[in-house]
Amino acid sequence: MGKVDVRHVWAAVLLATLVVMSPAAGAEEKSRLDVVLERGKLIVVTLTTVPPFAFNDEKGQLVGFDIDIARLLAQALFKDPTKVEFVSVTAEGRWPAIESGRADMGVGGTTTYPDRAIRVAFTRPFIDSGISILVSKKSGIKTVADLNQDKFTVASLNNPQMADRAKRFFPKAKALTFDTPAAQFLAVRSGRATALQIDTPSAEYWAAQNKDELEVLPGLLGASQNNGVFMKPGDFKWWLWLDTAVAELRTGSWYPQYAEIYQKWFGKNPPPQKFYLSQ
Amino acid sequence: MSFARWVSIYGSTYWTGLAWTAFIALWASFGAVVWGCVLLLIRLSAGRWGARGVDAYVQLFRNTPVLLPIYLIYFAFPMIGLPWPAVVCGGLALILQNGAYISEVLRGSVNAIDRVQFDAARSLGLAPWGTFRKVVLPQVLVYSLPALGNQVVLLLKDTSLLSAISITELTMQAKLLTEQTGAAYEAFIVVALLYLVLVSSTEVLFRVAHHAVRWR
Repeated sequence: MGKVDVRHVWAAVLLATLVVMSPAAGAEEKSRLDVVLERGKLIVVTLTTVPPFAFNDEKGQLVGFDIDIARLLAQALFKDPTKVEFVSVTAEGRWPAIESGRADMGVGGTTTYPDRAIRVAFTRPFIDSGISILVSKKSGIKTVADLNQDKFTVASLNNPQMADRAKRFFPKAKALTFDTPAAQFLAVRSGRATALQIDTPSAEYWAAQNKDELEVLPGLLGASQNNGVFMKPGDFKWWLWLDTAVAELRTGSWYPQYAEIYQKWFGKNPPPQKFYLSQ
Repeated sequence: MSFARWVSIYGSTYWTGLAWTAFIALWASFGAVVWGCVLLLIRLSAGRWGARGVDAYVQLFRNTPVLLPIYLIYFAFPMIGLPWPAVVCGGLALILQNGAYISEVLRGSVNAIDRVQFDAARSLGLAPWGTFRKVVLPQVLVYSLPALGNQVVLLLKDTSLLSAISITELTMQAKLLTEQTGAAYEAFIVVALLYLVLVSSTEVLFRVAHHAVRWR
């Protein structure tokens, strides 16, 4: 081997960067559905710090409602719920993981927003969500309005929807921004923050785990929301399969399996299969 | 959207992140060098138990990732009634860790000083503190300059971990922009270039300093 010319190295780096950035890269004809079936395994990007959706239990196993949803999808694809590989990321890592094709799809307490749907495609919702406020009991806060004082601090996640809600509902309170729900939770428990805003099921889970210290304020911060499966936009066949599968889980032939995991994680029955059918 | 267009729209949002990174790196580097000197002084002057204490301290910080003290200080200190701001906690964690490394770097340079100088200092009537301040420290800092520059570069890069405790330095800024725009590659390439500029200028600074003091 001769000496490596530094200019060649730079040229290679530049070329690699251009390839990564160019829109033509990764323009594949084949649908992800076929790729997944051929591979015999589903690759799912997920958060790992949002109980009860996706989190590590005492044994270090990745568990949760959203994890079970992914397993049901694997069951439908391969007749085997274990044929899933989970890729754990932080909140902002979800989008590049999908965009780059590293994962086939994503779950993990991920809410559908119109502005998010510009860059990732969502299926119909597989669970209702909303944003609630979790406060430390010591604070004496009883309503969201109480929170709007400059002596209080609210922990949020680093997404623009969280920042917008903070400005709208408690503009006077101080804001802290974290990259994981676990860090938000730690901030409230350690006294760094008075309260945090998070998906309602997560808030309820943490409140149930820490009955003496924490409680969820009544009412939602804004509207009821939808959590869905997300994927790279533009692949109709793949999107259609996922959306159909979610519809079957939520309102169709796989409703019993759906009800089972709903019971397991939330301790209550899911919303009725169809609004015109009595339970 | 082209890279150039993306930078023209969102480029200006990086200024605060750049300022925070530079600010924390600057004061934490200064603190780490001072703390490293203090540890060296303890090692040289506080007898066998002093040296063992410093050894234990260095081992503790050298064998744990810096994210741990960052989390511990930020999240645990409020529980014992010390709710210091994130910048102080993060900076302190960097100082404690890098101070340990720097004290080791300086110790290496102490060994490069001719033993005769210590005898000379004593015969001139210098107390141990005077010897340390007037004889040891000036030489040690000069000998150690290149290695210190290295450590400051490492510290500078470690400031990216402070995004975990809600400091909006460069890495946090890139995370926020990724969440906001979905453009992960653009956001992080810009940050990479900014770190490159910061680190290169630090290296140049230390090289200039080294040249300035070398021929004294």
